[in-house]
Amino acid sequence: MQIKITGGRVFDPAQGLDGTRQDLCIKGDRIVSSLKKTDRVIEAGGRVVVPGGIDLRGQVATYGLNFLRLWGGFSSPQELGRLYAAAGYTHVHEPFLTMYTAGYVHRQLAAIPLVDTSASLVLNLRDLDNYLKSIDQLEEVGQTVKALQEKTRALDLRLLEPFVRYRQDFYAHRTLDSVKTMEMLTRLALDCDLRFTLEASPEILELPFPEPGLFHLGALGRAVTDGRLLDLALTRLAEGVTGDLGFASPDAPGKMDKKPVKIDLGGYYPLDLNPAGGDLLPALRLALAHQGPNLAFSLGGPVRNPLEEIPPLFSMLCDRRARPLVDAKDLPDREFSLSDWVWATRALPAKILGLGDRGHLQAGARADVALFDLPPEIPQASWPQYFGRCHTLLKAGEVLIDNFELVAPETPKATYYRRTGVDVGPLLVEICQYRSLRPENLWVADALGGAWVGLD
Amino acid sequence: MEQQSLICTGCGCLCDDLDVTLSQGQLQEVANVCLWGLSRFFPNKRLHPKKERHRLLEPLWRQNGRLQKVSYTKALEQAAAILGTSRRPLIYGLTNTGSWAQEAALQLARKIKARLEPADLAFKAPYYHSLRKHGLYWAPLEVIRDEADTVLFWGANPLHSCPRHLVRYSVFARGRYTERGVEERQVAAVDLYQTEMAKFCHLLVQIEPGQELALLQGVGEHLPGGSGAKPPVKGARKLAKLLSQAQFGVIFFGRGATYNQGFGVLDALGGLAARLGKKQTWALFPLSGDFNSQGLYHLLLNELGVPEAPDFGHEDGVLTSSMPVDFHEFDAILVLGADLFWFLPEDQALAWQQRQVPVVSLSPFANRTTSCAQVVLPTALAGLEAAEVAYRMDGLPLVLKKLLPTALPADRDILLDLIQAV
Repeated sequence: MQIKITGGRVFDPAQGLDGTRQDLCIKGDRIVSSLKKTDRVIEAGGRVVVPGGIDLRGQVATYGLNFLRLWGGFSSPQELGRLYAAAGYTHVHEPFLTMYTAGYVHRQLAAIPLVDTSASLVLNLRDLDNYLKSIDQLEEVGQTVKALQEKTRALDLRLLEPFVRYRQDFYAHRTLDSVKTMEMLTRLALDCDLRFTLEASPEILELPFPEPGLFHLGALGRAVTDGRLLDLALTRLAEGVTGDLGFASPDAPGKMDKKPVKIDLGGYYPLDLNPAGGDLLPALRLALAHQGPNLAFSLGGPVRNPLEEIPPLFSMLCDRRARPLVDAKDLPDREFSLSDWVWATRALPAKILGLGDRGHLQAGARADVALFDLPPEIPQASWPQYFGRCHTLLKAGEVLIDNFELVAPETPKATYYRRTGVDVGPLLVEICQYRSLRPENLWVADALGGAWVGLD
Repeated sequence: MEQQSLICTGCGCLCDDLDVTLSQGQLQEVANVCLWGLSRFFPNKRLHPKKERHRLLEPLWRQNGRLQKVSYTKALEQAAAILGTSRRPLIYGLTNTGSWAQEAALQLARKIKARLEPADLAFKAPYYHSLRKHGLYWAPLEVIRDEADTVLFWGANPLHSCPRHLVRYSVFARGRYTERGVEERQVAAVDLYQTEMAKFCHLLVQIEPGQELALLQGVGEHLPGGSGAKPPVKGARKLAKLLSQAQFGVIFFGRGATYNQGFGVLDALGGLAARLGKKQTWALFPLSGDFNSQGLYHLLLNELGVPEAPDFGHEDGVLTSSMPVDFHEFDAILVLGADLFWFLPEDQALAWQQRQVPVVSLSPFANRTTSCAQVVLPTALAGLEAAEVAYRMDGLPLVLKKLLPTALPADRDILLDLIQAV
C-alpha cells in the first residue's frame, strides 16, 4: 500500500518540524521521501500530523493488576488496546516484569490488541548481592542480566530498589547501600553496555550519578515532594539523566474505593498497585520547570482508561487556565507547545526504549502516524479537546483508525524485546536454584505471548 | 526410552518438577508425582478403592436409556442440538480445564446466551467479596516459600487437596530466607477434625461446626490492642499469640472455610489478615484444588471485570452472580472440567434426572457426570496429550506441553466446533 498524507501540519521535533505544511509519503510499513504512484491519498488539511504515541510507562499488565478490577473502573485488555489506538498511541511499555512474573505479563500484553507492547525487566538485586560487591565478577553479572533479559523477553532493565536490603536481620551482612549500588551499576552499565531505569524516590534523587547518560528515572513526579527534591530532579535532568513524569492519575470519582492493593514481588517493599492519587502538582511543577529535552510524559500508576486520563493532563501542560487552582500560583508560567508534547510522548520515549524507527517521521521510520483534527485558528486553550482522540491512525502503514472509527480491528500487533544473544551462564543457573519453577518454565515460552520481535 | 520434564495437572500447585519416561508413545514412569497427579497420568490404575476412573476413548450418545458409541460428528451434532435449542443453558465446571478451553467456553456462553458457572464458585466468591472489603496483600508462592515464617491453614487439608503444597511452598520447603524449612516456620491449622496436619502443626485448633466466627472473634480480642476477654472458643488465645509473632504470615484457606457461613468467615479472615498486615506482612491465599481455577477467575476478571458467574441469557445484558446456581432454572447443561454429579447432593442429582435435563459432558475420564450424560465427548488430557496454558494457584501462567500423541480432540477444539455448530 502506498499512501500520501497531504496538506497537514507536521510536528516532528526530531526533524525540527513545528507545524510545517508538508506531505508525508508511506510505502508499505515505512515512511519514504517520495512516491511514484499512490494507492490512497489522505487529506489532512486542518489537521496536525504527528508520529504515533508511545506510552513509556503504561502500567497495563503488571502481575496482580487485574485484582484492581474488583473495584471497577478498569478497562479490559481488549478495551485498552482500542482506547490507546483511539488516543493516537501505537506502542505501550509495561514497567514491571520480574523473572517469575514474565509469563504473566507477556500473556496480559498479548491480550491487548492493536498496539505494540514491550516490558521492563525489574531486577531484584538480592539475587546478585554478593556478586555486586566484587568488581571482578561484574562482567559475569552483566552477562547474567543480559541472558535474563533475553529469556524473559524484556526490552529494557528497571530497578525498583537500587540497594540490597533484607527484611530478616539475619542477612544484614549481605546488604549493600544505595551509594555503593549506584557505583556498581555505573560500572556495570559502562562495562557491559547496559542502561538502567531507576524508579525515582527521594533517596535516589540524592544519589550521585557519575554517568548520567546511562540512567533513566521513572515516575519522577512521585519523588519530587518538596522544593529541594524538585531542584535535585532538575539538576539530574540538566546533567543528562532522562526521566518520565509519572503523573499521579486522579482518582476516578465514585469508581475506586481506595483499598490497599499490594503485590509482593520479592523486594524489600511490596509494589503498591493502588497508590494514593490526586496530587498532580509535583509532576506538573517539574514538567513546567524543566526546559531541556530530557523529560518524557508518563502516568504514575495503573492505566484505567488512557482516553480519559491523558487529555486532562495534556490540558494542564498546554493551558495554564486548566491547572489546579490550589497552589497553581507557584507553578511556572510556561505552557507546552505541540512540539513539546510530541517530544515528550513520541520522540523521547522512542529514544529511551531504543525504538530507533519510531517517534519521528523521517524517511525510513516505521509509518506510525497519527492525525488529529486541529484547525490552525483554534486557540491553545482548546487544544486538548481536539487532541484527545485521533482522527486517523496508521500503524506500520496500515490505517487503524479512519475518521475516528476503528476500521482494522484485526491489525496484528507485536511484543518487542531485546535480543542480547547471551546464553544462560553458571550464575543464572545458581539464581534459578532458588526458584520454585524449573528454568524452562521460568523463561517465557512462545505460547505465552507474541508475536515476538527481537531487537538487536 | 525418552526422558521429559512435565507439569502436573493434578491440582493448583502445577508442580513442574515431574520427570517422565516415555517409550513408544506411552508413558512408562513418572517421578516426583503425588497421588493426584498419578491418577491423571495412570487413570486405569486403581489408586483409590472407591474411585471408578477410566479413560473415555469414544464419543457416546444415550439412546433408549443406554450410552452407545457414535462418531464424533454425530455426537457433536447431538450436543449442538441440545445446547442450540435450549432456552436456558448452563455451562458448568471449567476449573479443571486449560485457559484456551476456558476462553472458548466463554465464547460459547456468549453465543448460546448461557450462564457460565465456575465449579468452585461457592469457594471463591466469598474470597473476592472479602478482598473488596478489606483490600489485598498478594504474594506469589515463590515469595511465600522464601519468606513466610508463619502459616495458618484454615479449613484446608493440603495433604488431600494439593499434596505437594507443603513440601514445595508452604511448610517443609526450604526457601531462600527460610533455609531450615519447617524449623523456621510456625504452622497452625484450624479444622473441624483432627486431621493428619496435627502431626506437624505447632498448633491445631479443633472447632465445632459453626464456631468459626466465634474463634475469629476470640483471636481478634487477643491480638495486641484487643480487649483480652475470655475467648468463647478454646485455642483462640494460643492462635492469636502465634499469629501476632509473625514477620511474614500467610493464611491459606480451603473449601472448609466456606462450607458454613462462607461469606462471614472469609470476611472475618480478610479482616484478620488486614489487621495483622498493619504491623507485619500478611497474605490471605485460597488453596485451589483444581488445576486451573485461578485461570478461570483471571479470565473473568480480565474480560468482564468481575470474578463471578456471568449470565448472558438476560435481556438487560450480562448479569453476574456470586451465589451458586439454582439448577432448577436450566433446561440443558454442558459440563467440562468438573464432575458435577460427584458434588451434587443425592436429592438434587435425583431431581435432575427426574426432570430429564439433558447433559453434555466433555471429559477425559469416565465419572459420575458422564454416566448420567446424554452426550459424552471424550477429550485429550491437557498437559500430556494436548498443549494448554494453566495458571498456578498464585496466578502465574505455565505452558502445558503435549508429550503423547492422541486421536482425541482437545476440549478447546470441541468447544470451537460447538461454537460453529450451534
